[in-house]
Amino acid sequence: MPTVSVKWQKELYPGIEIDTTQPPYVFKCQLYDLTGVPPERQKIMVKGGILKDDSDWSKLGIKEGQKLMMVGTADEIVKAPEKGPVFMEDLPEEEQVVAVGHSAGLFNLGNTCYMNSTMQCLHSVPELKSALIEYPQFGRSNDLDQSSHLLTVATRDLFNELDKNVKPVAPMQFWMVLRKKYPQFGQLHNGSFMQQDAEECWTQILYTLSQALRSPSTSSNLDTVKELFGIDLVSRVHCAESGEESTEAETIYSLKCHISHEVNHLHEGLKHGLKSELEKASPSLGRSAVYLKDSRINGLPKYLTIQFVRFFWKRESNQKAKILRKVDYPLELDIFDLCSDDLRKKLETPRQMLRDEDGRKAGLKLKQKGSASVDSDVKMSDAEGPSNESGESSKATSEEGVASAKNVQLTGVYDLVAVLTHKGRSADSGHYVAWVKQENGKWIQFDDDNPIPQREEDITKLSGGGDWHMAYICMYKARTIPM
Amino acid sequence: MDPEPTNNNTASGSGNPKDESTVKAPLSKDPKKKDDKKDEDLSEEDLALKQQLELYVERAQDADQGLQKVALESMRQEIRTSTSSMTSVPKPLKFLRPHYGTLKSYYETMPDSDLKKLLADILSVLALTMSAEGDRESLKYRLLGSEGDIGSWGHEYVRNLAGEIAQEYSKRVNEEATVDDLIELVEQIHNAEPEAVDLLMEVEFLDLLVKHVDKTNYKRTCLYLTSSARYLPGPDDVSVLDIAYTIYKQFEEFPSALQIALYLDNMQHVKEVFTSCPDLLRKKQFCYILARQGLSFELDEEMCADDEDREALQEIINNTKLSEGYLTLARDIEVMEPKSPEDIYKAHLLDGRASAGASVDSARQNLAATFVNAFVNAGFGQDKLMTVTSEASSGGSSNWLFKNKDHGKASAAASLGMIDLWDVDTGLAQLDKYFHSNDNHVIAGALLGVGIVNCGIKNDCDPALALLADYLDKEDSSIRIGAITGLGLAYAGTQNEQIRDKLTPILGDPKAPLDVIAFTAIALGLVYVGSCNEEVAQAIIFALMDRSESDLGEPLTRLLPLGLGLLYLGKQDSVEATAEVSKTFNEKIRKYCDMTLLSCAYAGTGNVLKVQHFLGQCAQHFEKGETFQGPAVLGIAMVAMAEELGLDMAIRSLEHLLQYGEQNIRKAVPLALGLLCISNPKVHVMDTLSRLSHDADTEVAMAAVISLGLIGAGTNNARIAGMLRNLSSYYYKEANLLFCVRIAQGFVHMGKGLLTLAPYHSERFLLSPTALGGLVVLLHACLDMKAIILGKYHYVLYFVVLAMQPRMLLTVDENLKPLSVPVRVGQAVDVVGQAGRPKTITGFQTHSTPVLLAAGDRAELATEKYLPLSPILEGFVILKENPDYREEA
Repeated sequence: MPTVSVKWQKELYPGIEIDTTQPPYVFKCQLYDLTGVPPERQKIMVKGGILKDDSDWSKLGIKEGQKLMMVGTADEIVKAPEKGPVFMEDLPEEEQVVAVGHSAGLFNLGNTCYMNSTMQCLHSVPELKSALIEYPQFGRSNDLDQSSHLLTVATRDLFNELDKNVKPVAPMQFWMVLRKKYPQFGQLHNGSFMQQDAEECWTQILYTLSQALRSPSTSSNLDTVKELFGIDLVSRVHCAESGEESTEAETIYSLKCHISHEVNHLHEGLKHGLKSELEKASPSLGRSAVYLKDSRINGLPKYLTIQFVRFFWKRESNQKAKILRKVDYPLELDIFDLCSDDLRKKLETPRQMLRDEDGRKAGLKLKQKGSASVDSDVKMSDAEGPSNESGESSKATSEEGVASAKNVQLTGVYDLVAVLTHKGRSADSGHYVAWVKQENGKWIQFDDDNPIPQREEDITKLSGGGDWHMAYICMYKARTIPM
Repeated sequence: MDPEPTNNNTASGSGNPKDESTVKAPLSKDPKKKDDKKDEDLSEEDLALKQQLELYVERAQDADQGLQKVALESMRQEIRTSTSSMTSVPKPLKFLRPHYGTLKSYYETMPDSDLKKLLADILSVLALTMSAEGDRESLKYRLLGSEGDIGSWGHEYVRNLAGEIAQEYSKRVNEEATVDDLIELVEQIHNAEPEAVDLLMEVEFLDLLVKHVDKTNYKRTCLYLTSSARYLPGPDDVSVLDIAYTIYKQFEEFPSALQIALYLDNMQHVKEVFTSCPDLLRKKQFCYILARQGLSFELDEEMCADDEDREALQEIINNTKLSEGYLTLARDIEVMEPKSPEDIYKAHLLDGRASAGASVDSARQNLAATFVNAFVNAGFGQDKLMTVTSEASSGGSSNWLFKNKDHGKASAAASLGMIDLWDVDTGLAQLDKYFHSNDNHVIAGALLGVGIVNCGIKNDCDPALALLADYLDKEDSSIRIGAITGLGLAYAGTQNEQIRDKLTPILGDPKAPLDVIAFTAIALGLVYVGSCNEEVAQAIIFALMDRSESDLGEPLTRLLPLGLGLLYLGKQDSVEATAEVSKTFNEKIRKYCDMTLLSCAYAGTGNVLKVQHFLGQCAQHFEKGETFQGPAVLGIAMVAMAEELGLDMAIRSLEHLLQYGEQNIRKAVPLALGLLCISNPKVHVMDTLSRLSHDADTEVAMAAVISLGLIGAGTNNARIAGMLRNLSSYYYKEANLLFCVRIAQGFVHMGKGLLTLAPYHSERFLLSPTALGGLVVLLHACLDMKAIILGKYHYVLYFVVLAMQPRMLLTVDENLKPLSVPVRVGQAVDVVGQAGRPKTITGFQTHSTPVLLAAGDRAELATEKYLPLSPILEGFVILKENPDYREEA
């Protein structure tokens, strides 16, 4: 009975006796006890190859004190995942779009960059896309005019085209329908189409879509566009002269960022935009008086649209002139302090959870924070459960879209997803370009038919102050927390 | 004595000294005036000397023998004391020049006596500056002279004399005259080593050296011998090196003797070194040197009597500690942290463009990432793609292996072998689970991985052979190739007969597909690299002859002649018989085979004639479809890479080829440049390759991109890294080129900058045949990038593993534990033939070991406390405490 030592990985097991009267399988079982490697996974190097279960010991010439080597692990055998990854190379040509990481560009049909950039920005809203898919080709509801219907269908088709192609798309159909619905975009100047204000285009298209997608034939009865973009405002209208006070509620589709000399940052501009003076007839005074209107946000949209009011009508030059002032805007916008008290209360819990999660990501220990108050401890433990899945569910939101919207809570924090910029000195001239964040997190500059990858830090540099592209419309996406 | 001719001669002497001895200028008044002026220019001291010497000359012709003797003795004294200066003609010689003719004619009139011999000595010295070229008067008078110590007349004299002896010798040999007197003289010349060596080589009496070198000059002598050997035609070079070997052995400079033995690939010499050295510690150092060369070498009892010691020594030769040493270096430099391919791509440094990552996995790009990950983390045992998944139990989609497609999975599985490079135990454990996969590609990869992890490491249990042998005759050809290639890598250079017995039958297997046969030929070529093994050669030749016409057109067929060529790597003439056989091959492959065989056989020899031969082949212009010029271009690089001078010339020749060569030449040029400067990023080559990387021809561009990676391999060179980064954005839409860029990026950051691919080591003296073999296989595969690297045989890239070595100096103590000591690292200076004790490095910095050595760097100890056991500080070096060392207060 020779005694051998067995080397396995980095360990050496000395003094193992081999019972040469037994088949090697017995020896393997001895090793199984020592290493935990099942006998069928053991490969033991002996002269002339690997030790077989039924080898004859006498023929192997095992010497006393010989060092044997064993290879083998008890590791789980690697299995191919049931659903292997799909490779770009396997996709049919047109599907490789996805692989390129961005959708196609749009050809300029003659000063249509305002339209192209608007459509590229709107195209980046997946919920809008899914709502459009459900829009019926035929059977429009009666309260919708034919041209609106056609425009909606054209929008749907255009979005489809963009998703399908790598090469740029020519939006001929859409362009025709748009002009039909809104003849002002068909204005000619010296025989060619005129440049238009992108904001006007944006507003009109959204208006049409909101009309069309409201129709009861769609699966969700709600106004999709309103849910996505609508901002509920509650305003206190106050007259200093008479002391009259009233509240108004309204829904708008974009916040205005007014640019004055004090405004250096988007936030300041928004505050300005929510305060306005108006003159109206005062019932108590019996004449028109100056009223102060102070608005607060009472309901948040999933996509917050912000328009920089850069253009004003300049009588002397008879055109929309542009304010070039640099107004910085952040990649992450928090509009909590623009909200009404009611809304603030509602937002408190989700925001706390969001902060906790951020803290956790930043590596802060929950307990340190939590020990401050018992209350928050309780909240925290509530937060624990769902936030674990937050990563997946936030992804899910974009896919499932509106349907799952009820399960998530808005936090008042928004992330920049699209910027529409203008370059030039007046709204009716110059060049519009869309800068859109793709689903993979990369930014693409859609300069008509030419999509160019961009770095995120360059996006915030579009804040004006020169003759470079400057942000005209920004679209922010709500950061949500699942409940 | 007549003063007139004297003055005249001095005047013209400054103009043309050679003529002057024979010129007997007529007397004239004009020059005399001039001379007077000249005399005035002399300082008083010089004037006195001059007059003194003139007096001696006069006296030497005196009738009184006693007076004559005194005059000659004093003259000799003056000359000897003044010959120290090398830069100008010594004053006494200058002043005596005018009298050379006078003394010469007087000498003829003298009767034979000691005095006459004395005068002959003096004339011999004077002839140094005076005698006309070809007269060899210095030698003539030397032979007539007193046969005293030659060296006492100074270096310049000896040098001149040596030259004249050489001339005289060749003349006499031609005339078949006796040379005995010359040889006698030659024996006296031995203090000026380079001259002596030159002389002895010229007179073919080099054996004399062994008798004459002593402790003080043997190093310089041998240094000169070894470096001149490169420029000698065979078989002189071998005999010269043999002499150097004998001298080194005689003076117990065993490591150097061993180096020469390895250079000569003379195992008998290697054995002798072991048997003649009694010291175990020094033997350990020899083992480290053997291990670096990549030789498999079995010690026997004669070389080391004690069993335990022998086991310890054998362990060093088997390279089992390489991984440990490498990791020691990595920890010291603090680069253990694994790097992901994204860390290498540094896409954030690019503006936009390439940063737009794909949302869908691209198989091609994932494969590139697999390779980059493998090369960058090579040998570290940890990475961010392959090794992490084994811990994360989730498996499934997070498993990088399955992010690769089909044959890509083979390379992915094999990359584990690269990551665990040299650490056989861990590597095998990691690879084990893939053996049980139900995916043939994965199994093939695991088999290849076993080969990679074992590359250069020998293990008594032969795990690679045991594990791979069972898979050699499997049905699936990818599994077969995996096992065959694995064996080739694991046993490269071992000439293991078991492997031969297992692999040669595959070559004759009529059912085996072409790719299996091709990789078998390569594997055999690597295992028997430079062995000239007849049997293997026969097997490959038959396999080549059996190929059908259509097979011969396949790109993979080119690997068969290459396998054959590897057998003769660096073996020069030994290839001739096989080359003759290759002339009978089908004409489709004949030329290709011829070029491949020739380039391999003369690889690393620096043979200028062969370089010219290859250049001649490239000068021909052909219709499309000729492929043999590719290996011819590579051949230029393979032959010329031997030494720096030839290398620079080859680079220039290659640039010319770019100008007028056809496409099949142009696409090979970047690869040849890559080989010439491998892991040695020379700026002008870098620029050439950078230019070519934008070439309109994609194949040229791809080859240039890969070569950019090769010249920067393992250097982390920031400039190349920047170039490649820009290329990655430039080619972001061209999948094939982008793949090449990624691979090149992987090369540049290979082993996080701790590795080199240079097959030359030990101060560029020794060539590791396995390393060169691996590189040549890769380069040949790159000649048809589309079919091989970009096709489904991308794992050919793993052949670089044969050339991968840590570019380090790791000093260890007597127990072989790492020992940190200060060392100076600087650019190596060529000190061959330099007088005195010149500095060997320049621009050095002081570090403490372990340190990285760049191409052309040399290290020396910055402390006297220890003595290195190897004169060349590279790789593992054992330090011994210096017994004479005194701690400074």
